[in-house]
Parts: sequence; C-alpha cells; structure tokens
Amino acid sequence: MPDLLDFQADFGAALRDRARTPALAHRLAGEPDVVDTRMAIYRANMVAAADKALSAAYPVIRQVVGAEFFHGLAREYQRATPSTSGDLTAFGATFDAFLAAFEHTRPMPYLPELARLEWAAHLAYGAADAPAWDVAALAAIPPDRQDAIRFQWCPGLAVVRSASPIVRIWTIHQPGFDGVFEVDWGRAETALVARDGFAVTVVDCPPADAAFIEASLRGASLGDAAAAALEDHPHFDLGALLARAFAARLVCGATH
Amino acid sequence: MTAPASPVGTGIGLRQPHYREVFERRPPLAFLEVHSENFFLEGGASMHALERARAAYPISLHGVGLSLGSADRLAGEHLARLKRLVDRVEPALVSEHLCWGAVGGVHFNDLLPLPYTGEALALLADRVDHVQTVLKRRLLVENLSAYVECRDSEMTETAFLAELARRTGCGLLLDLNNLYVNATNFGFDAGQRLDALDAASIGQIHLAGHSVVDDCLVDTHGAVVCDPVWALYAQACRRFGPKPTLIEWDTDLPALDVLLQQAAQASDIAEREPAHA
Repeated sequence: MPDLLDFQADFGAALRDRARTPALAHRLAGEPDVVDTRMAIYRANMVAAADKALSAAYPVIRQVVGAEFFHGLAREYQRATPSTSGDLTAFGATFDAFLAAFEHTRPMPYLPELARLEWAAHLAYGAADAPAWDVAALAAIPPDRQDAIRFQWCPGLAVVRSASPIVRIWTIHQPGFDGVFEVDWGRAETALVARDGFAVTVVDCPPADAAFIEASLRGASLGDAAAAALEDHPHFDLGALLARAFAARLVCGATH
Repeated sequence: MTAPASPVGTGIGLRQPHYREVFERRPPLAFLEVHSENFFLEGGASMHALERARAAYPISLHGVGLSLGSADRLAGEHLARLKRLVDRVEPALVSEHLCWGAVGGVHFNDLLPLPYTGEALALLADRVDHVQTVLKRRLLVENLSAYVECRDSEMTETAFLAELARRTGCGLLLDLNNLYVNATNFGFDAGQRLDALDAASIGQIHLAGHSVVDDCLVDTHGAVVCDPVWALYAQACRRFGPKPTLIEWDTDLPALDVLLQQAAQASDIAEREPAHA
C-alpha cells in the first residue's frame, strides 16, 4: 500500500476508535500522551460537525429531545453511519432508520416519522426554483385529454405518512410560533411538504389527497392517480384537490 | 467564462445571520466569502441570498470538503458540483485547503494534515492540475491549522506549498492565523516561514481568531484576530504587497460591526505598511 494511503487509513481508524491511536502514534511527532490529547481535538471536531449538520436538518427533533441528548444522537449516528460526502448537507438521510432502531429512541415511534418530515423539508429548502403553473393552463387542455395529464409537481414536494401528529409537532416548534403549545397525540397526520417561493411549507394532508399525490409523484396520469385515490377513499373529490393544489402553487407543469 | 479580476482590499465571511444586514447596509467591502459546500443546492433561499450577494460584491468561494489530499480518490461528483457553482456564481476567487478528509469511503468532514513528503507533493500536484483544468481557473490552496505533525514529513508545509505553486501555477491562500496556531503548537517561527514564499504566488490572505485548549491553540474562527497575527499581517503586507484579505469568523458569530471593525483594522495595516517585496 502506498505510504500516504496507509497513513490516512491509520489516521481514520484512530479518529473513529481511540483504541487505534497507538498504531498511528509512531507516525506522528510528539509524546504518545500529547498525541492522544491532540487526536481528541480531531475526534471532537468530527462529532461537532455531525451535530451541526444534523441540527441544521433536524431542528425540531433537536428541540424535542434537547441539545445535550441530540449531541449524543449525532455521535452515535455518525459512529453507525459515517458521512460519505464532503458536503455535510447530504449527511443525515438515514437518521429516521437510526432513530427507529437506537435503543434510547426506540420507545418514541413518532421520532423517525418526524425525521422523515424534517428530511423532506431539508430537501425542499434547497430544491430548484420553479414558477407555479396557472390553473388556466390546465383548463386550456381539451377535456378528453385531461385524464392523460401527468403533473410536474413543484421541486421538493413530498408526502410523509405517519401514525403520529407530526405536522402539529413540526408547527409548534417553528420559530415565531405563538399559539397554544399542545399536541393531540391520538392524531395520525400525513404531511405534505412543499416550497412556496423560498419558504418551506408543511401542511396536514387528507389521506385521499395524499394517495392521489403519491401516485402522481410516481408518474401516474391524472386519471390513474384519481383511480388510485378512489380505491381506498370513495369520497375523494378530484376537483376540490386540484383547486387546493393550484391555490397552494404545488403544480409547476404537466405533460399530456 | 471571464471571472472578475481579483479584488483589492478587505472582505468578510458572509454567514446567514448577517445576510439581511449586509444587504441593507451594503458595507464598503472588497468582497464576500462563503463556504462553497453551503451552496451545493439547486435553488431556494440560500441560493437567492448568494445571488443577491453576488449582485453587490465580488464573491470568493472557499471550499472545505473537496479533500484534495485523499490518497485513494478525488471525489469527482464533489468537483462537478463545485464546477456548477463556479459557473453559476463567477467568483473572483476559488480556494481549497492543503489537506485530506476522507479515506475508504468515509468522510471525516474535517481538514486533516498531510505528511509533507515527495509522494504527497506528486499527488497534490496532480489533483490541483486536474481541478484547475476542470474549473478552467486558478485555484488557491490554503495552509492548514493542525494539532498533530507527521513524523515522515521531508519539508515544511510552507516549502511544500511553495513547490506546489511552482509545479501547478496554483495560488496560495495564506492563512496567518493557521500559521500562528501551528507555530505555537509545534514551536517554529511563523515570521521566518513567510520568507520561503513568493509574492506572486499569494492570492489571498485569511485572518481569524482561535481559542486555547490546555496547551494547544485550536483554530475555531470564533474570536478577534490576536496581536501576534496582526503583526504577522503587517509583515506579510511589507513582503507581499497588498493582497485580498479576509476576516474569517464561523463560530460564536458576533455583530456584523465587529467583523467590519476587524476588516477596517486590516485595511489600515495594509495601507500603512509599504510593500518592499
């Protein structure tokens, strides 16, 4: 192995596991105890970077569990799922699965669901800018062709299903929230995450609407997506959904 | 693409809590610097802020995640995204660090020190050539703050950088706080190191603060520039002439006015110290 690669492999091993430091120490100048202290600085930097990145992507979970516990989660998540990119905004994509499996968060099943919502919001924040489509453009498509329309939803749009009140939890933890800090824990909420201009929006989405949008996001035509929604939700009202979607500027184009 | 000419004067790192105030006050700064990786996004509020900044100031893109010195691979996708950003922003300056940060597919998201060997120099020269070819512009490479030193080093970091610049035509981003931190941590004369550098290779200077943990200086970018670093800056101005200079501040971000005061102090020194390179 080339010497530089060998050195970096030893250095990386010592960063991830203090017990591996002695194998590196002979490559570094200074007394072993000083090297040990200095490597601890790098180790703390590494955890701080993970904490900072996860705090940016998961600000609500950080508030829910507290900064100190969150720091521990960041350390354990990084240990289990190290970063693979020099771009830390990409770090944390699998935090939901970690929270579902980690012994100290396993008793809180709403946390992974909230994590999926926050990750969708994190992606929506940096999604491409796209002007919304006017409902008049939809009306201009001949009625016999409308069933075949495939919507292009605004970049970042996502549906997050959950058995917990994740939209309510997200809402009351937003900066500037001044309503009553209460959660009805019996509610199951499905979140619709979108961008309105530069703002990320999160709203409670009726299950029938969610079924339609999910099918459409997977590439189904308007007709097929409506059929999918009607299957489980016989009262699904396509006209009302389209009115809501266009009013919320969720559609930015269509092919037909 | 024609990049704007290198800015003359002092700039600050633009961080999110200061966006609004900078856009409203438009302080007289030569340039603004941002971390490249914070803008590897398709769109949204951050990209909009960067575009507003770009409309008002020359921009310096400072990368922290390319990991130029990783022995196993250079992350092509990371470089491709940097290229997209460079094309979009048309920055005045683009910089990265003399470091490595990833091995075996794991990224430590930190700036880790290299052994300053012939092997590392050959690797870095290849990498810098490649990056400059892809970006179609000169890259500035920054000296590192470090807490450990490699026993295998065959030369000083400064000599390594001088040779890297000679081989590749890259510029150097001389971080005087990093140099001071290392001089203190490893016991060498920071001022003497400046003599090994050629004025034409210096593309930018960074000034920042650090903190002290036990017996070790830690490069936190969370404090005002200390007196010995100001003295080094005066020496660098005399030796290299005026260079684009940045006040860099990342943690415990103070009021914008504190950064502007530090920038004004740097400008005063640059004007007071006649170059005699």
